[in-house]
Amino acid sequence: MHKLLNAFSSIKLTVVLLMAALLLVFFGTLDQVNYGIYEVQKKYFQSLIAFWSYPTEWPGGNFLKHLIIPLLSGGLLGALLLLNLICAHFKYFVLSWKKIGIALIHVGIVVLLVGGYLIGYFQEEFQMWLPEGKRVNFAKNIRKNELVIIDKTDPNYDTVWSIPENLLKKDKVISLPALGIEVLMDDYYENAVIVRRIDYPQGGIAKATQGSGSKVDLVVFPKAKTYKSNEDSEAAAYVTLKHRGEVLGTWLVSEDERFPPQRLDAGNHQYEIALRPERQYFLFYLELIDFKYEKYPGSEIPKSFSSEVRILNEQAKTDRNVLIYMNHPLRYEGYTFYQANFGPEETSSMLQVVKNSVWFVPYVGVWLTGVGLVVHFCVQLYVYVRRKKEKLNHAF
Amino acid sequence: MGWVGYRILPTRYLTKLDVAGFTELPVQVNGRILPMESLARNSLMLISGRQMVYLPEGKQKLAAIGWLMHLTMQPELAAQYPIFRIDNAEVLSLMGVKADGRKYFSFNELKAHIPAIEEERKKIPAETALRSVFQNQLGCLYNALDIYSQLLNLLHTGTKPSELSELELEYANWLVSIQPAREALRKWVSGEKVDQEVFQGFFDLGDKYGWISNNVYFAVIPPIERQDKWGNAGFALLNVMETGKLNPVVVDYARLVTSFREGNITTFNAMIKVIQDAIGNKAQWKKLKFEVFFDQLEPFYVSTVIYLLSFILVAISWLVPSWNLQRAAYWVLIVGFVVHSFGLGSRMYLQGRPPVTNLYASAIFIGWVGVLIGLLLERLAKHGLGTAVAAILGFATLIIAHNLGLSGEDQLGVIRAVLDSNFWLSTHVIVITMGYSGMFLGGILAIIYCLGLWFNVGKSKRETLHSMVYGTTCFSILFSFVGTMLGGIWADQSWGRFWGWDPKENGALIIVLWCAIMLHAKWGKLVYERGFMLMAVFGNVVTSWSWFGTNMLGVGLHSYGFMEKGFWVLLAFIVSQVIIIVGTGFLGNFKKT
Repeated sequence: MHKLLNAFSSIKLTVVLLMAALLLVFFGTLDQVNYGIYEVQKKYFQSLIAFWSYPTEWPGGNFLKHLIIPLLSGGLLGALLLLNLICAHFKYFVLSWKKIGIALIHVGIVVLLVGGYLIGYFQEEFQMWLPEGKRVNFAKNIRKNELVIIDKTDPNYDTVWSIPENLLKKDKVISLPALGIEVLMDDYYENAVIVRRIDYPQGGIAKATQGSGSKVDLVVFPKAKTYKSNEDSEAAAYVTLKHRGEVLGTWLVSEDERFPPQRLDAGNHQYEIALRPERQYFLFYLELIDFKYEKYPGSEIPKSFSSEVRILNEQAKTDRNVLIYMNHPLRYEGYTFYQANFGPEETSSMLQVVKNSVWFVPYVGVWLTGVGLVVHFCVQLYVYVRRKKEKLNHAF
Repeated sequence: MGWVGYRILPTRYLTKLDVAGFTELPVQVNGRILPMESLARNSLMLISGRQMVYLPEGKQKLAAIGWLMHLTMQPELAAQYPIFRIDNAEVLSLMGVKADGRKYFSFNELKAHIPAIEEERKKIPAETALRSVFQNQLGCLYNALDIYSQLLNLLHTGTKPSELSELELEYANWLVSIQPAREALRKWVSGEKVDQEVFQGFFDLGDKYGWISNNVYFAVIPPIERQDKWGNAGFALLNVMETGKLNPVVVDYARLVTSFREGNITTFNAMIKVIQDAIGNKAQWKKLKFEVFFDQLEPFYVSTVIYLLSFILVAISWLVPSWNLQRAAYWVLIVGFVVHSFGLGSRMYLQGRPPVTNLYASAIFIGWVGVLIGLLLERLAKHGLGTAVAAILGFATLIIAHNLGLSGEDQLGVIRAVLDSNFWLSTHVIVITMGYSGMFLGGILAIIYCLGLWFNVGKSKRETLHSMVYGTTCFSILFSFVGTMLGGIWADQSWGRFWGWDPKENGALIIVLWCAIMLHAKWGKLVYERGFMLMAVFGNVVTSWSWFGTNMLGVGLHSYGFMEKGFWVLLAFIVSQVIIIVGTGFLGNFKKT
């Protein structure tokens, strides 16, 4: 037991772990060129172990592509560093005011690391498109899709049944007993191109018996998921619906926004089926009054982007305008709305929406570490000056 | 000192022509109003890679402003000047020219091949990573030709030398022809018979003005009334159809051109004053004058040379101690620092921003901080080490800055929306670049240490170096960490994400990690003096990766694209550092220190 404690509290282990962290960050960064920032985050920083392989495009690629470097990933590394720090403090714990600075610094770093984990779990990010003049009460999660069956029978409101992406796998059956509907996933494609059969007589997958897939005679060509930052993967799926045991048909659904809404009737209800980025619904509406894109005079360089937005919250009886622009987000109802993008002809604005109940943790960590650094510096300065004084005294 | 003074002698003392007045005339480019002097220098930099034209006969030199004056007012002359720099053999062969060592070509030589260049340009892929060397170089040549053709119409709408002598007539004819053309158009639309000649002249001029209005991005004509967008002559002439008035500055410039062509100095000088008065308070004349002064002084070039001189003096002082050159080196360094500081301060005044707003400015600032710290180190240690390190870092960073400035981009340009926060620019960016300075200083001191080992320098000097590097490492970890955290806070306030694993963020994190590794390795007695110093040399590799390498990946928010030449220089630098580390660490038979 003692040996284990010794091992885990050794500073040599700290150095080894820090080196591993450095290598992880470096190789992860290199891989971002191929996989983009988000995928690399999952692969390198939020997992337990990762493997980096020599890219084939680099010199000697064909020969060196078998060079695979295993790396301890963020999850494991963070945990080990934490363990190392805690053990070291237990073993070498000496209540000395000289070490207060260092203790604070380490506590601050621990808070930052822990904060990183927490944010990884709790933070949610969405995109909200606001066309000018329209009221919008939802934002999209661009990383996750959902299959929705919307009950449109009542003219006053829609009931949305949302099936999350992790259930959308080939051959999976999802029951919605309240509707008496069973959803069978015939196929789910992470990325696909959909074209008309007339244009592509050969190849592709055509399974639709109902809806646009069948009426327009569309075929699906599955593609590999893309990691390029300026491209989006457009998911698609073939879905067979059964109502009280009776097969209603097979629909082609797609994330492609050009896909029209597909209606169907079942048991005195009218439904709509669609595949779309997962929506986060709010209890309030935002309406874009005006988007302004100011450029520097005589140039295309952006000077400022701003959205004048109206908040409509029936329950809270709120109806007021706010201005959202660069470095000045709107914080409302636990969400923060940042000016992120805009649409063609400047008639629509996109807000980045972030929900993060643990946003303050990095700030606490930064503050603690900052104070620790200042304290440590002052302590060191004091010790240094005192030593110099002693030397001078001894000289006489 | 005399050499510095010569550079600020205003050009008005060199000729009777009011060149000084011309240098101060305002142009609006990319949202900023700059003087002709800056426009001339930036444009020539982009085309030629330098700020002077070397005329073939008698090796005469023509200053950038002189070139611009000829280009805008005597283009037939300017077309003979060899200004287009072409290094790539394939590009040369596209124009049937053998690579016989000549690097600069005139417009006249390139004119006939422009269609071929345009053809090839269409084939250049959009993604920079997919372009070949030939395509990159061709793209550069195309950009140079584009700037050239825009500048031809900077002051007027003439497209042939004959038109330049009759600008006022052309403008007067245009003004007079607008109403009749409108009448004729109305008649034609309602089916009446119309004299085609009335149309033809009008449309020909209108087309020409339209092309200039859309394609010349340099604007010398100030806006009428309370707008802030300047225009070119083409735009102003077309605008008459809406407003009924022609901005008098257009005609003033026409007169300026004619008087220059005729060699009429008195009229030229008079017109300069007229234009200045006509523009009035739409331009800030004090700032323009100052920017001309700043351009002509070339403070960063001056301090580069002074830093080099300082280093040479220190190096000699080590080889021949009896000459007592260390004090001289120190004071020369201070002169260089003063000029460097003046340059930095001028940039802040002209831009109205904290010192670091782009990559070029970061190089200038890193050098400045480095020299400052070096001066402090010299006062503490007095071996000439501080001076040497300061001089090396100052010189190297200014050379890097110069190379970054070769793009001819306006380095005092406006800041894009997402960076537009003076608070964060003056905190996060400053603190992080100071961290870079610290790392490089430590790295250079460590290299001197390695050289010291090879040349059997005494123990006390090595210990001094060791403690200096320990100091710079502590400095670096503090500033790099704080700077990185400030960046996180900025990101959180701006788009809700404290840490996004952006390559530049990762680079900064790697610097902090490396400093932490160095310090913990030292405290844990895993390395001693030599090992620590070798790690400090590696700090150079880590920092240059963070500063430049991350920009070249083409990923994330800080990406500036693949700077081809820069990649090889970076690689060479990293290899050189590794050689020093390996050489000193493993191959040397030094006593364990």
